[in-house]
Amino acid sequence: MAKIVILGAGIAGHVAAAHLRRKLPKKHEVLVVSPNSNYQWIPSNIWVGIGRMKSEQILFPLPPLYKKKGIGYKQAKVTTFHPEGDAETPKPYVNVEYVVGDHKGKTEKVTYDYLINATGPKLAFDMTEGLNPGTNKAYSVCTYTHAEHAWHALNTLIQEMKQGKKAKILIGTGHAKSTCQGAAFEYILNVEKELRRHGVRDMAEVTWIANEHELGDFGMDGMLMSYGNNIMKSSEMVEMVFEDRGIKWIIGAGVNKIEDGVAHYETLDGEFHTETYDFAMLIPAFSGHGFKAYDKDNNDITKKLFKGFMIVDADYTPRPYEEWSVQDWPETYQNPTYDNIFAPGIAFAPPHAISKPRTSKNGTPISPAPPRTGMPSGMTAKLVADNIIDMINGKKDLHHKGSMGNMGAACIASAGYGMTQGSGVSITTFPIVPDYHKYPDTQGRKLGKTFGSIGLAGHWLKLALHYAFIYKAKMKPFWWLIPE
Amino acid sequence: MTRRISKTKRFYMQNPIIQFFKFIWLSLKILVIVAGGHGGTRNVNGQ
Repeated sequence: MAKIVILGAGIAGHVAAAHLRRKLPKKHEVLVVSPNSNYQWIPSNIWVGIGRMKSEQILFPLPPLYKKKGIGYKQAKVTTFHPEGDAETPKPYVNVEYVVGDHKGKTEKVTYDYLINATGPKLAFDMTEGLNPGTNKAYSVCTYTHAEHAWHALNTLIQEMKQGKKAKILIGTGHAKSTCQGAAFEYILNVEKELRRHGVRDMAEVTWIANEHELGDFGMDGMLMSYGNNIMKSSEMVEMVFEDRGIKWIIGAGVNKIEDGVAHYETLDGEFHTETYDFAMLIPAFSGHGFKAYDKDNNDITKKLFKGFMIVDADYTPRPYEEWSVQDWPETYQNPTYDNIFAPGIAFAPPHAISKPRTSKNGTPISPAPPRTGMPSGMTAKLVADNIIDMINGKKDLHHKGSMGNMGAACIASAGYGMTQGSGVSITTFPIVPDYHKYPDTQGRKLGKTFGSIGLAGHWLKLALHYAFIYKAKMKPFWWLIPE
Repeated sequence: MTRRISKTKRFYMQNPIIQFFKFIWLSLKILVIVAGGHGGTRNVNGQ
């Protein structure tokens, strides 16, 4: 009998738990440890942030589902890792601290045979001075509670605009090394659409601010894509959309300080500027959680497990951008020191960025960190689950592999909500990490499999995916037929 | 020079009948790309 402990119940953690439970006999234990008792479909947060969906529509409670499916659950957060156990506990374990109920604040050793670290990123608002959701007129849509607050503030501003107030809206990245530009891109287009729907578009100046050196970089070094019968750069596509919507843009900008209605930023040319706003939604930097790890003698071995995020089978040798290779990216998400520890989704430490690193004339790094969205999170979690099942069944080699350099992803970016008036920007990319050796003439990606499309169908598709993935997450009949 | 969305393109983008077929096409194309498999990058077919 094996015990698999999964830390985190986001997309990666939940997908791993669901597949393990479905495929493993009941004699094996699957246990999820997460401080959040709700599963949330994060891609729909942007619709909560414009008031077109309620939080209840994008989340559901996990404990009843886990109880029904035979998955153990502890509402707790992990504090330390002990992959060799200790003098009292010979088995590997993690220390967890309960976050609610009678046990709140109490700690417990949770032993495991296999550990999946799917703790995702820490939303590092503290890395930008003054950036704290709900203060200084700046908001976030990174969680459903953040998105609710954002909508409340935006709605108040819309009502003021209806009374004649002119307003400035700033949306983008809130740190020089932020990632997840795609979410901000979706949000700015949805906000712009809602302003039109409320008849106040002409009262607002809407501005995009981002650490990308050009529009459409998305932390993926941009894309060369098929667009209808044309071939177009992602920068041209985003510029076309922004021009069409009357959205201004500031790029190559590292936001470093937020004051009440004022964003301070440095640009790649080394200049310092400010931008005023009445409402802002700025994506923070992502960081690791700062976990500590100890060996059986209680010596600190954090460096064996973590490099900010968790160390996996990537090549972390520091190299200049020109020498980066797609082979640097991990394939199995297994920790090289402890082969029973895995880190799919956003929890693994990437070997390097995807976009070319850039620094300002003052030496400040201003470029996006690599994005890892829901689709690769789900795919990597499933392959980790499959490899663990193989290991339990006695196989030595890990047969299931999924490098982001040999994996496709779709980004269906909502560009406005509405069954007849909505819009979406659908972008697929293959591979996610460009392979400049395999596809030297098309910026590292396969044309045809890397394409863009704009229109109402994109909105329908995003909405269909919303319902399909919540159905899947609820583990309803034949859920496993829906691909990650 | 910035590309523009023409009136014809805009009609195409928002026409529900055209977009219904586009929806079917997009769904299938994305399914093929995303569910079409993934793998490693080291020693794949002798690369």
